[in-house]
Amino acid sequence: MKQPLLALVKLNKYYGDVHVLKDISFTINEGEFLTLLGPSGCGKTTLLRCIAGLERIQSGDILLNGTSIKDLAPNKRNVNTVFQNYALFPHLNVYDNIAYGPRMKRSLSEAELRNRVGQVLELVQMSGYEKRMPHQLSGGQRQRIAIARALINEPAILLLDEPLGALDLKLRKHMQTELSRLQRKTGTTFVYVTHDQEEALNMSDRIVVIDQGRIQQLGSPREIYSNPANLFVTSFIGDRNIFPVTVLEIGEEHSKVRVGENVVQVRHSHAGRAALQVGEEAVLAILMDKMIVSCAPVENALRGEVLSIHYAGSQIRIEVRVADRILTVVEYQKIDCECQTGDTVYISWEESGALLLPQEPGWEERGL
Amino acid sequence: MKSWKTNLLAVPVLLWIGILVGVPMLLVVAISFLSRGHLGNIVYQFTLDNYRKVFDPIYLRVFWNSLRLALLTGLITLCIGYPVAYITSNLTPRGRALALGLIMLPFWISSLLRTYGWMILLGNAGLINNVLMALGIISRPLPMMYKFGTSLVGTAYMLLPFMIVAVFNSVDKLDRSLLEASYDLGAGRWQTFFHITIPLTLPGIVGGFTLVFIPALGLYFVSDLLGGGNTVFLGNLIHTLATRGRNRPLAAAFSLGMVALALMVLFVYWKVTKDKTGEGLLQ
Repeated sequence: MKQPLLALVKLNKYYGDVHVLKDISFTINEGEFLTLLGPSGCGKTTLLRCIAGLERIQSGDILLNGTSIKDLAPNKRNVNTVFQNYALFPHLNVYDNIAYGPRMKRSLSEAELRNRVGQVLELVQMSGYEKRMPHQLSGGQRQRIAIARALINEPAILLLDEPLGALDLKLRKHMQTELSRLQRKTGTTFVYVTHDQEEALNMSDRIVVIDQGRIQQLGSPREIYSNPANLFVTSFIGDRNIFPVTVLEIGEEHSKVRVGENVVQVRHSHAGRAALQVGEEAVLAILMDKMIVSCAPVENALRGEVLSIHYAGSQIRIEVRVADRILTVVEYQKIDCECQTGDTVYISWEESGALLLPQEPGWEERGL
Repeated sequence: MKSWKTNLLAVPVLLWIGILVGVPMLLVVAISFLSRGHLGNIVYQFTLDNYRKVFDPIYLRVFWNSLRLALLTGLITLCIGYPVAYITSNLTPRGRALALGLIMLPFWISSLLRTYGWMILLGNAGLINNVLMALGIISRPLPMMYKFGTSLVGTAYMLLPFMIVAVFNSVDKLDRSLLEASYDLGAGRWQTFFHITIPLTLPGIVGGFTLVFIPALGLYFVSDLLGGGNTVFLGNLIHTLATRGRNRPLAAAFSLGMVALALMVLFVYWKVTKDKTGEGLLQ
């Protein structure tokens, strides 16, 4: 098997008494776009800084091409960071900012340097901006210069710390495409930190979901979206209705559960099956946009009463009361029945959109 | 229209400054062109004699002494003040409040008293000589008083807090992520210090230098007490001329010479902080 580019081995990090990274282990392959995804304060930025060498780890190891780099200073590691606020040097123009790395390492002659700066500027589509000062650039332009300044060093890994956080929505979408393009074109391995699930799902080859300093799930965007490993990932990624149910029967692939007066069959998560128990409570999670509203009774459906209907452009959001819960259904285009507020409806779903997970104590109180 | 009304608020302040600074300043300018009577009184007769004397080679030497003292004071306070300010700004909030308090503490004691303190320390029968002799390291007192160096030490000591505070303000504002970015891009500690920290704290360095340089030109009592008048500085000269010398017109002319020196430094300060680097540096 090919050696991974970067391997994190049982990494632990404390700030005083606070345990911020707990036994983090995973590998990154060459040329991969890997995203660290989690809510703020989950430790994802700290993990990135540990890889960059800006934070020291208390135990564990970081291997780059099989060699430990955990005791190397940041300037001795072949990785570069794009900082959240870009951290462009305000007293240097664009050219000098980009040339900073090679100049400090004395790795290029001035002539070669001029060539390389031209190349990376072209790569980020900022040719002709050499003489500008950072404060004369817009947010998106600073972003590009920060990326160019890192890429000129030809790092083994480019670390990006919420690089799109400070940009407005439209520019963010544009830069997502732009980053994907850059990553493919340069073949550089990207490790990307974000709290935005859409960004993560959009760009990544693989996603590491982190919460409270621990890896919750690691997988491709598709895997994580459709087969979340636990309640945290379920509630953090994708818009889902999540509510407790009572387990009646446990099968190979599916289980029978009761919600109020309704009895339905749902798929359970692979890992979660062992934790399910007949007669005990479990949690059902259904993607809002995989639900179907019908006026007439259908098989495997929840009966409920329509509370309100909101037309929001291309989508329609319908609030339905089922037992003592209020579920939200998102429908695109037309709906099967022209229901009104107060009508009785039957909610079914596409098989892949629903998942039965074991109950975890205290998850509902976290308000995710 | 609106800006005119806003500016109206500044009028009381401008009046205040005008009366307390502007009018005396104009008086000094006026007196510098008048003559001295036999008894040391001012005679209302226009003359350029005072300025002729100011540019006399003997007196130019005094300018040179003062310039040297002020420049060296700036340098010494910078070399001591920069590291102190840098370390202070990296302390915990508590530590930094304590450190700044200690730096400011000497201002609670009269500067004259503190100068006498230095005499007790450096004198022939002073603390340092006594200790060194008691330890048998020297057999006779080291003469440390009444030299150019003594005045320099006293002046630098007196003005050091100004340098520390000025540098502290700009070091404190320095975005630490820029230093991280520098390490991340492959620069070592010293490279980062010279290429990022120093240029970005330059306004503080120049500001501190200005704050120290200008008073150093005129702190006459320090050089009087510690230098014993062996080296004549502008401040001492003006003081002597205005009091015992009974020649206020000449004192006024020298005062304006001193103002000219100070303006030169202010011009450099203005150039460095306002020019080229623009808003990025000052923010």
